[in-house]
Amino acid sequence: MDSIIYNIPASMVEAYRGQRVIVRCHDPRELMGRFADADLQNLAGLQLLSLNSATDELVNWGYAIPIDLILTQPATDFPLLYQHSGLLATHPVRASIPVMPGFGKAVRLALSLNFAVKLEITQPDQTLIEEMAEVLDFYLHHPTVSQPVEGFHSLLFAFYHNDPVMLWTIQEEDPAYFRHIGEHGEETLSGRFTDATATGDSGSFVETFQSELLADKSECVGCEFFPNCGGYFKWPRREYRCEGVKTLFSALRQAAEELRGDLAEVAASKGATPP
Amino acid sequence: MRGGHLSLILLPTLKCNADCAYCFEDKTAAHLTLERLSLLIEKVIDYLEQSGIGSLTIYWQGGEVMTLPPQWFEQAKQIIASAAKARNKIIRHSMQSNMVGYDRKWNPVLAEMFGNSVGSSVDFPNLHRKVLGGRVEDFNALWSRKVREAREAGIKVQVISIPNQETLAIGAERFYAYLVDELQISDFQVNTPFPGGELNDPLHGFLLATDRLSHFLIDLLEVWLERGYSQGVRIGPFDGLIDYFITGNGCLPCIWRENCAKEFVCIDALGNVSQCDCWVTSYPEFWFGNLFEADSLSELLRTSPARRRFQERPSVLIQQEDCLHCDYLALCHGGCPIRTYTVQGTLLAKDPYCQLYQSLFREVEGVAARLAGSRAVLR
Repeated sequence: MDSIIYNIPASMVEAYRGQRVIVRCHDPRELMGRFADADLQNLAGLQLLSLNSATDELVNWGYAIPIDLILTQPATDFPLLYQHSGLLATHPVRASIPVMPGFGKAVRLALSLNFAVKLEITQPDQTLIEEMAEVLDFYLHHPTVSQPVEGFHSLLFAFYHNDPVMLWTIQEEDPAYFRHIGEHGEETLSGRFTDATATGDSGSFVETFQSELLADKSECVGCEFFPNCGGYFKWPRREYRCEGVKTLFSALRQAAEELRGDLAEVAASKGATPP
Repeated sequence: MRGGHLSLILLPTLKCNADCAYCFEDKTAAHLTLERLSLLIEKVIDYLEQSGIGSLTIYWQGGEVMTLPPQWFEQAKQIIASAAKARNKIIRHSMQSNMVGYDRKWNPVLAEMFGNSVGSSVDFPNLHRKVLGGRVEDFNALWSRKVREAREAGIKVQVISIPNQETLAIGAERFYAYLVDELQISDFQVNTPFPGGELNDPLHGFLLATDRLSHFLIDLLEVWLERGYSQGVRIGPFDGLIDYFITGNGCLPCIWRENCAKEFVCIDALGNVSQCDCWVTSYPEFWFGNLFEADSLSELLRTSPARRRFQERPSVLIQQEDCLHCDYLALCHGGCPIRTYTVQGTLLAKDPYCQLYQSLFREVEGVAARLAGSRAVLR
């Protein structure tokens, strides 16, 4: 990633022309008239904030534009996902699903429709950890799943490749790469930090936050998962205890080890070098 | 050109030269004129353009398509090819025929328009199919003679077979031997029966007991794996399911789509538009409208209350049935609307063969895992 991506409302398209943008809107028709074909190359994605909107016209607009379906009440809104499956004919589609009670229903349906999934995670309690564990098992082991569930998917491959990619980046919340623009043009940080005004040194926000966590001698000190977590779960409440999320990290690391072992076994049976 | 694909089931005639006891179609002498075909195809291409759809496959069915003369199809091919070329669309053709009217005069049309391929149907034992004025006992002999002649002309005949009570009684081994060994059919699909149309005697008991049909299909799967899979024999839906479980993609029958209303539409000889041939021939209350009376197909489809019922079906089922918790939701999404309606009297219930589908999916999933394991080691 080499430049900041701005998440802007449809009303700000003209103001951010020439910048890499993700545009959010309630109705895609708000957006379609504002973009010329030449601008589409700077469109990093489109976030649809209302699943009640018709998206038929989007199927024939642009090509391979990442579309993000934003669910706010996943336990009840999930049937609306059916209305948007036609988008897959021309665009990659992701469902962003907040981790709240019943969110697993939306994940199951989204994956069954071949949508990628991004989990919007805050600081889950034990009940939610259990539902996340069920979703993780579904993602890892169910034979009909063929799309990623983020952040599980990138963490799995981070463990597999011993890659220190961090959850902040995976979840598109690292202010070094992502900024949020409000309805009136105010620039804030992304994701969970939309209340925080961006400043000149916002790019080092994560680095600064991690230094503070370590200086505070929080449980991040010595945590085996810190290279990939980076204190992600210590926001907004630093006193949040990570026992639950660590079980998810452990399950992902174990799955990566099993995958590595399985591939090595197959390679060995053919006399080849393991991947 | 880019975008998706549409399947059009086109019934250019409602006339039939067979008299199958279980047929649910309201057969009439109506057929599509070439003038009306031109109008129809222009409206269909308008719809493709307005919807960003790049390609179309026309599935020619009846009635019985071979009650029209081959010359009609030669002219139809020219009309459609000209329209498609003028508007930069890809249009392919597929034919489904009972083969009763086949003779060598059809060979040029089958070669040039249908890629030397035709789909047909045969049951074993045959309890219901017969030629008009003929006997059930004679149908399979006539059919196999016509198919042999077609094969000798280089035409590939793919077959759909629908099990009946007697099929279950004789078992998978004899069924497979009849189709593959005796009739030399190397590509066929087994469909599940349903009691469409008005109730009449042969349809009573037409919906087979799910557990018996399930056992039959799983037995057939085993026979095929042992005798035909590695010999190039293809049986749907087994081969498509194996591909699906191994690669994530597979050509699956229309009953296992996320929503058939997004992929198919059917138009009959009079211009009536509905979901598929089953609906257009038997259930006028489910017609979406008439293409020749409508300004455009796009508007007809967009405003049809009947079509909306099909479009909304999966999102209703996911809330009121147990589909969300099914391991095979991604494959099925509640199954076939016509099978549901003919048994339950409503669209808003899951397919009556749900348990059969689950048993079959589970069995094939296991087979696919074994085959994939073998392939990984061999590769």
